[in-house]
Amino acid sequence: MMKHTQKSLKQFVSNFYLVLILIFLYAPIMTMMVLSFNTSKSRTQWGGFTLSWYSQMLSDPKIVSALYNTLLIAFISALAACIIGTAAAIAIDSMKPVSRTIVLGITNIPMLNADIVTGISLMLAFIAFGISLGFKTILISHITFNIPYVILSVMPKLKQTSKSTYEAALDLGASPVYAFFKVVFPDIMPGVLSGFLLAFTMSLDDFIITHFTRGAGINTLSTLIYSQVRRGIQPSMYALSSVIFLTVLILLLITNYKPGEKEPVPGMAPSNPSGSSSSGSKGSLAERIQKGAMAIAAVAIVISVGWITIKKYSVSSSNELYVYNWGEYIDEEVISMFEEETGIHVTYDMFETNEEMYPVIEAGAVMYDVVCPSDYMIQKMMENDLLAEIDFNNIPNIDQINPIYMEMSKSFDPQNKYSVPYCWGTVGILYNTKRLNELGVSVPESWNDLWDPALSGEILMQDSVRDAFMVALKGLHYSMNTTELSQLQEAKQRLIDQKPLVQAYVIDQVRDKMIGGEAAVGVIYSGEMLYIQEEVENLGLDYQLEYIIPKEGTNLWLDSWVIPSNAANKENAEKWINFLCRPEIALRNFEYITYPTPNQGAFELLEPELQENKAIFPDINNLENSEVYRYLGDEDDAIYNALWKEVKSR
Amino acid sequence: MNQPLIDLQHISKSYDGTMVLDDLSLTVKENSFVTLLGPSGCGKTTTLRIIGGFESPDSGKVIFDGADITSLPPNKRSLNTVFQKYALFTHMTIAENIAFGLKIKNKTKAYIDGKIKYALKLVNLDGYEHRSVESLSGGQQQRIAIARAIVNEPRLLLLDEPLGALDLKLRQDMQYELIRLKNELGITFIYVTHDQEEALTMSDTIVVMNQGYIQQMGSPENIYNEPENAFVADFIGDSNIVPGIMLRDELVEIFGAKFTCVDKGFGTNRPVDVVIRPEDIDLVEPGHGTLSGIVTHLIFKGVHYEMEVTTPDGYEWLVHSTDLFPVGRQVDIHVDPFDIQIMNKPASEDEEAIGVNE
Repeated sequence: MMKHTQKSLKQFVSNFYLVLILIFLYAPIMTMMVLSFNTSKSRTQWGGFTLSWYSQMLSDPKIVSALYNTLLIAFISALAACIIGTAAAIAIDSMKPVSRTIVLGITNIPMLNADIVTGISLMLAFIAFGISLGFKTILISHITFNIPYVILSVMPKLKQTSKSTYEAALDLGASPVYAFFKVVFPDIMPGVLSGFLLAFTMSLDDFIITHFTRGAGINTLSTLIYSQVRRGIQPSMYALSSVIFLTVLILLLITNYKPGEKEPVPGMAPSNPSGSSSSGSKGSLAERIQKGAMAIAAVAIVISVGWITIKKYSVSSSNELYVYNWGEYIDEEVISMFEEETGIHVTYDMFETNEEMYPVIEAGAVMYDVVCPSDYMIQKMMENDLLAEIDFNNIPNIDQINPIYMEMSKSFDPQNKYSVPYCWGTVGILYNTKRLNELGVSVPESWNDLWDPALSGEILMQDSVRDAFMVALKGLHYSMNTTELSQLQEAKQRLIDQKPLVQAYVIDQVRDKMIGGEAAVGVIYSGEMLYIQEEVENLGLDYQLEYIIPKEGTNLWLDSWVIPSNAANKENAEKWINFLCRPEIALRNFEYITYPTPNQGAFELLEPELQENKAIFPDINNLENSEVYRYLGDEDDAIYNALWKEVKSR
Repeated sequence: MNQPLIDLQHISKSYDGTMVLDDLSLTVKENSFVTLLGPSGCGKTTTLRIIGGFESPDSGKVIFDGADITSLPPNKRSLNTVFQKYALFTHMTIAENIAFGLKIKNKTKAYIDGKIKYALKLVNLDGYEHRSVESLSGGQQQRIAIARAIVNEPRLLLLDEPLGALDLKLRQDMQYELIRLKNELGITFIYVTHDQEEALTMSDTIVVMNQGYIQQMGSPENIYNEPENAFVADFIGDSNIVPGIMLRDELVEIFGAKFTCVDKGFGTNRPVDVVIRPEDIDLVEPGHGTLSGIVTHLIFKGVHYEMEVTTPDGYEWLVHSTDLFPVGRQVDIHVDPFDIQIMNKPASEDEEAIGVNE
């Protein structure tokens, strides 16, 4: 009886665990996989089955090249780690117990250490030793963190292997090298192989270390996906992630699959004394094939690495340009057009946040020639002497930029010496007409309408400190760049008061939740309005989503091109900026990015219908109360963060 | 016979400050079967590994056939080793295992095939060429290990407790096998074991070792019948080792009783150790022997009875006899003079430690 209950309890616990795994580990992945077949870009609406994201993925040269880099790095780093790791394992195995424990502990550090620490320290080391970041630095880093995995899988095999077989081989006249490859290696081969697969998987999987050690113009799949997150992840990324997940899963299954006892090769019965010579040569033939395959693989690797190196360095002529821009923030065609017209070779890299871009420029890890940060970050870079003055004589197309935006730029670049506007936008309230009707609430006009108790549970707020305070401060008619503590305290209280009404504090999901009809109102960046409106139409929804800029004014944001002070190709950078200011080029980019363009020439080329779409191009003259974020300095930043923490923890 | 094949000169070796071999010298003649015998940790395996080249001595020389090979790596020495745990290459077939050394020497295929056949025949495993190592029993594996060594025609074969992992019956069979092989091949064997019976059965010469020293070296009969000290006597077979006083030549007093013996030259009234093998004690009716006692223990061992006879001084004599004396029976002990072995008491504490430590 007792036994029976114990057994069923065990059964229950193991089932329970299984369910937990399925829910927490696999449900999210399954969701992503399902979405990779969704015709609609929305994350909440099913628009029908499609494979187009997969074909789009395969036809995207960025993805293909990232895939190539990923596989090559995974393969070479796993191979190198195998050689080094196996040698290390043998050395460690022959050590005395105490030193073995110590060395093994030290070796395991890269595996146990936080990736971010490993990544940053590797980056710093590369910079300190003057090694320019690129393919080879990623490779070195991956070898570094792969070695412990190989050692860990080879060590147990070595322990199982009797030392006397090695000695027996020596005794029979084999040289130590011959004895190793003939006798020891076959015994530890399974360990080396699983170490290789594990290392390969880890390399495939890594983001953080790659992120810190990669240089200009090189992406692996993980860094590519990350750089594309800003504008909402494209469904082709779901497709790519699904493919990566399956690859890793399959590799892990292979690694963990332990082949059973080797079956004796058929035809080896003892009652076959005559067939001795024929099967003897069979063995050596298989050996030769194996050796041949390994030789071919080795040659293939050497050639491909050599080819990449040559390709990388042969083009590094004087006519270079290193561009650092947001993900999905240019029509790729434009890059090729620029290259064709000027003969300048462009190396194009992407970042996801200003905060991520800043240390790269500051450290000088990669010397970019032209970068596209946001307003407050430009101010910070200027204050830290990271920017070079732009020679506007080289940018005649600057007159295409509407002077209003040059005026706007002055809030962070007072003399218009360092930056050229590229894209801009506002923050406003997105509302669901039908839902408001049902609730009996009128269309919002003011930020303060977000404190209407009738909207309880229907409000989506931005989950970022400056945006949240902007809403409260603007509602109070204060500056959103204020550093007055009393005003900030007041705003904090407002946010605390609002908290019970808020459904969620989110960033990216505002768009999807609103499309899904989950909330009535949400604070949102205007940039994606065109996409939202298209999606509502495509899905045939029975409600409209409208965008309004509250009457108290809002956050006007501006992304502008700047040239870092350490740029090596400043003239090319100016050619680049000038090229992007050309109206037809700016138009192309607008059509791709769909964020409002400050380019007057491009604006005039637009269809009138778009020109008058207030969601995209709000009347700039009505934005007199609006401001651009300013960099407040570290101290005030800390105050904002502390107050925001108070709000969030209530 | 002729010049020594192996000449170990003043070999010393220590691991982490622990002395394993202390100034060991040993010569082995061509075509002999020498056994290094001793308890584990006595240095016998280290000696073998130094000859094989797997360890290098801290000091001393290894002379092989007149040439100094002390610093020669194992693959350059013209001798082969049979390891304790066979050390077969499991990913190769039997034939590949045997051919391993020959392939390195670049022998022709015909030569190698011939050798494989010959060697397998020699170890009674004809037709096993293409079997895998795992499909063989322990005894078969050991025979393959021997075949793998001897196809290289070494002048010296080192065997490191090769029968240790086998069961009793198989071990006995293999002992005869090894003697036959040795005689057929005419090569020199150096054999390491802790099994005294094995050593007595097979060797021409036994080297008894303990704590890095050679205790005694001699023929099996010599070692068994005339152990030079208590350690050897105790290690080789069962023994009664009792304190005695050498009254004069050919007369020793044990527990107050006087025994006639054949030993001379110990002086007069000198304390000595006396060794008497259990099978050399005759139990006789009371009044007919030298020392009286009572049978206190009796076990039937098959070929003989094992009895314990306690004498009034409290010593329990171990006696092997085919005659049965039940427990409680009053008996006398009689020993023939040539069955009494007199040994010097250990001179120093160090030597004593060596003796007692088994």
